[in-house]
Amino acid sequence: MPLHSAPAARAQDLKKIYGTGETAVHALDGVTADFAAGEFTAIMGPSGSGKSTLMHCLAGLDSATSGAVFIGDTDLTTLSDKGMTQLRRDRIGFVFQAFNLVPTLTALENITLPVDIAGRKVDQEWLDTVVTRLGLTDRLGHRPGELSGGQQQRVACARALAGRPEIIFGDEPTGNLDSRSSGEVLSILRAAVDEFDQTVVIVTHDPRAAGYADRVVFLADGRIVDEMREPTAERVLDRMKQFDPASAAPVAE
Amino acid sequence: MSGNPIRRVALRNLAAHKVRLALTVLSVVLGTAFITGSFVFTDTLQRTFDDIFGDVAQGVDVRVSTEQYGTSGVPIEAVDQVAALPGVERTSPSIGGGIIVLDSEGAAIQTGGAPAEGYAYIPPDRLVGEPETFVAGGPPAETGQIALNESAAERGDLAIGDSTTVLTISQGMVPVTVSGIYELETDTGGYIGALFTEEQASQLFTDGRHVGFLDVAGDGSLSPEQLRDEIAAALPDLKVQTGAEVTEETKSQVAEALNFLNYFLLAFGAIALLVGTFIIYNTFSMIVAQRLRELALLRAIGASRKQVGRSVTLEAFVVGLIGSIIGIAAGVALAYGLRAALNAADLGLPSGPLQLSPRTVIVALLVGVVVTMISAYAPARRATHVPPVAAMREESTATVESLRIRTIIGVLCAIVGAALVVVGAQQVGGGAAATVGIGAFLLILSVLFAAPALSRPVVNALGAVFARPFGAIGRLARTNATRNPRRTAATAFALTLGLMLVSVIGVFGSSAKASVDALVDNGVEADFMLTGPQMFGVPAPAAEAVRGVDGIEEVVPAYGVQAKIDEDFEFGTGAGGPLQDVLDLDMVAGAFEVTGDEILVSQTSADDHGWEVGSTVPLTSRDGDTVDTTVAGIFADNQLIGPWVVSQQLFEQFTPPNNRSALVVLMNTVDGADPETVRASIEEAVKDYVIVQVLDREQFKGQQAQQIDMLLAILYGLLALAVVIAILGIVNTLALSVVERRREIGMLRAVGMQRAQVRRTIYLESLLIAVFGAVVGVVLGLAFGWAFVRTLADQGLDIISVPWSQVVGMLVASGIIGVLAALWPGQRAAKTPPLEAISDM
Repeated sequence: MPLHSAPAARAQDLKKIYGTGETAVHALDGVTADFAAGEFTAIMGPSGSGKSTLMHCLAGLDSATSGAVFIGDTDLTTLSDKGMTQLRRDRIGFVFQAFNLVPTLTALENITLPVDIAGRKVDQEWLDTVVTRLGLTDRLGHRPGELSGGQQQRVACARALAGRPEIIFGDEPTGNLDSRSSGEVLSILRAAVDEFDQTVVIVTHDPRAAGYADRVVFLADGRIVDEMREPTAERVLDRMKQFDPASAAPVAE
Repeated sequence: MSGNPIRRVALRNLAAHKVRLALTVLSVVLGTAFITGSFVFTDTLQRTFDDIFGDVAQGVDVRVSTEQYGTSGVPIEAVDQVAALPGVERTSPSIGGGIIVLDSEGAAIQTGGAPAEGYAYIPPDRLVGEPETFVAGGPPAETGQIALNESAAERGDLAIGDSTTVLTISQGMVPVTVSGIYELETDTGGYIGALFTEEQASQLFTDGRHVGFLDVAGDGSLSPEQLRDEIAAALPDLKVQTGAEVTEETKSQVAEALNFLNYFLLAFGAIALLVGTFIIYNTFSMIVAQRLRELALLRAIGASRKQVGRSVTLEAFVVGLIGSIIGIAAGVALAYGLRAALNAADLGLPSGPLQLSPRTVIVALLVGVVVTMISAYAPARRATHVPPVAAMREESTATVESLRIRTIIGVLCAIVGAALVVVGAQQVGGGAAATVGIGAFLLILSVLFAAPALSRPVVNALGAVFARPFGAIGRLARTNATRNPRRTAATAFALTLGLMLVSVIGVFGSSAKASVDALVDNGVEADFMLTGPQMFGVPAPAAEAVRGVDGIEEVVPAYGVQAKIDEDFEFGTGAGGPLQDVLDLDMVAGAFEVTGDEILVSQTSADDHGWEVGSTVPLTSRDGDTVDTTVAGIFADNQLIGPWVVSQQLFEQFTPPNNRSALVVLMNTVDGADPETVRASIEEAVKDYVIVQVLDREQFKGQQAQQIDMLLAILYGLLALAVVIAILGIVNTLALSVVERRREIGMLRAVGMQRAQVRRTIYLESLLIAVFGAVVGVVLGLAFGWAFVRTLADQGLDIISVPWSQVVGMLVASGIIGVLAALWPGQRAAKTPPLEAISDM
């Protein structure tokens, strides 16, 4: 499909340096990567490899020290805070590790929040599709406190999907979930790509989660060190074992 | 550095969260500053008055005076009689009276409520007591010279040799030249003391046969007490006291006169305590809730419950102590600023050094430290009872507790309170007012208890109005404001209390003005009136000056007459002319004409005493003279003229010349006269009496309203303090809840909320809380005001008026206050980086 040939997001010689001089830490040390549209990518690496920083920079949550980030054709480094906020609101969806729902709003209100903030009308048909697909129909009136962790994360996924963003980022989206709920959430993200034609990029250290992706990008010490297509949990686990065992991330919680 | 690890963690944590620490200290500062400020302000007022009145009889062994105020004084013969007694070395008479001194521009020098008096100068060789010390010039040597106290001379811009005018009641304008300026130890508070020669003082302030009072110095052969007894035996009709007794009496009189102030102080101090306590408690509940995780961590690694509790308490002690000390300093500054503001508004409060009494410091410290410790300990205790692991894992730290019990208590209080208020409002008098007071107190309690439960529906309703146009932002603001009802209620409470009192006072003022207006509209027919300053009135010569002015038909001075009927002194009216021509009076019996020893009585008086036309009513003056008057008529009750009316002749018989000023001079114009021309003529006739004002009916009403406003302004000034504290309390709570919601705000930013939208959310949330507080306060205040005014129906407050424009103004202002309070917290919130949503706390 030609639509999928252009990258949905792109990092170009991205550097992120914390501190200066002797104590400077290169969180990202010249990362260049494309994230193709309609693909499910997992970014993996040991703790401190820079995988979260890379995602934050791609998603416009953090700014890089040098290099460029593109969402579609837009160069994020040229955007003001306002423009960046608008981009996050209109073109990006987020799923966080800690669910991050507004506790005072109902599930439905949380799902439509970004659209409401933008002052746009909710596409009711699309919303119904998403809500039904995610099995949230009879949970819409509940507040987050009345939902299980898995249900909250499904609400968060629905929130990310509701605005039909160009790309959805997930920051350890299964980090706080048991294995059954993890499976549900990952299936949803997989389905978002397969059924709704979405682009998904997640950061994870769970090889099982990576197994749902089309492609895995491995980071170590701020650089891309490897890439894997059609990954399986076993292959990813094997690859991860090659990293310095001292700095290897725990495989499971 | 202490080796105690728990303490180290506590201190490190304090230092690590600087904003949180600053806000915590700020809450204590606000609470204690409010308490200190109100105490200092009222203490200072009291002390200033004490200074002015307290030190009155220095060096005096015995003072001879009359039992009653407002009398002619001590007869001249008594002076000689005392001087001739054995053991008496010197006697010095006090001759004096109220005056008004004009400044170099010809305007009256304002005294700010302090007295302005003219005195006879008694040279040191004859004086009993402390002689004046002259800083410039010398004592008055001849008629027409005066010496002034330093501050009066300064305020009047008068120097030695300057000519000016003194107004006296008996003789009107008296031209004078300043001969000297003297020092007054207690020269504070606007007091004016003008020294005249003894001769001129007698002429101005006495009838020539009396002196005000007589100070006596013994030759040392008798103790003051013996001297007192000797003189008392010689002068059985007069009051004879030792100097110490006089000082005591004056002090207690001042204290009594200031009693209203003390009650006000008590009420105000109670409000200060309540509001201060609330702010501190509120803040600490939030802080400890935020620290639950940290406390849980300490518990998880093996700290005992006791250790954690102790650490929190110690921290609170330090914060409370530091906050209280800063708060005391801030309170003094607050009192200073408040006084400056009131003076700038020309309310003329007496000035004096600010009084910071040990009591103030102790109370502020105690409240600051103890309330802080309790506020910190209670939630910490609750926190330590949560299993550590649960607390650490908890995502939202808000512990939801049932509001049921406190709401039930609140509703019960409200029912009983409302019943008492309504029942009390059905009657008049002190008992009824007390009933209303108890009811009001219960209702305030009910707000304390039930406000959290009340906040949800009220804020939601307000939100439906104010937040609806803001869409999703509005919904977020509304849900935030109802998220923690206890906190919302506690935050709004200070504003509720402040605006409740403002509303009560507003209803009083508005009703008083409406009642006066109605009185003037229905009862006064005069076209013009002359009025003078309070306590001074219109000097007799000014009233004379308008007689014969072109276009004036009648000039009727109305006097206040005090006389004893049966056992009680009453205030009646002396008619200096045909009152019936200038007032709208209904006669029940007889005609409205009073001459010689006749008296007109009100229907109520007549019924009370069983009088009818022709009855004999004995009136006794202050000096003890009794005149048998004959009832010439009975009039329908009238607030303007009181229980009875006597003739000018009787008024003069009962009133020494130095007190014969008219309360008001009423004038009728001839038919067809042009009001503007007549007014100009009247103004011309009295133009030298700068303090005399020419008013038509509308202006007269306006002047009465102004006097009421002046009174209210002082109360509003004090309440402004409560409102300022309330605002800062809102700022504090909001800032803390912004800190608390950092992660959530970060998430909102991450999913695309603009900074301006974040700010707007906080503004709206604050607006909703503030308006909620204001609505509750105003509703209660109006109800209390209505009930209190009804109990005062017999005092002339017979019309209840709600100051609607003020009510609307207050509600609008509270909204603005809410937004202003949210400015800083809103800015902070908007700066939250979206990454906060992801980073660990």
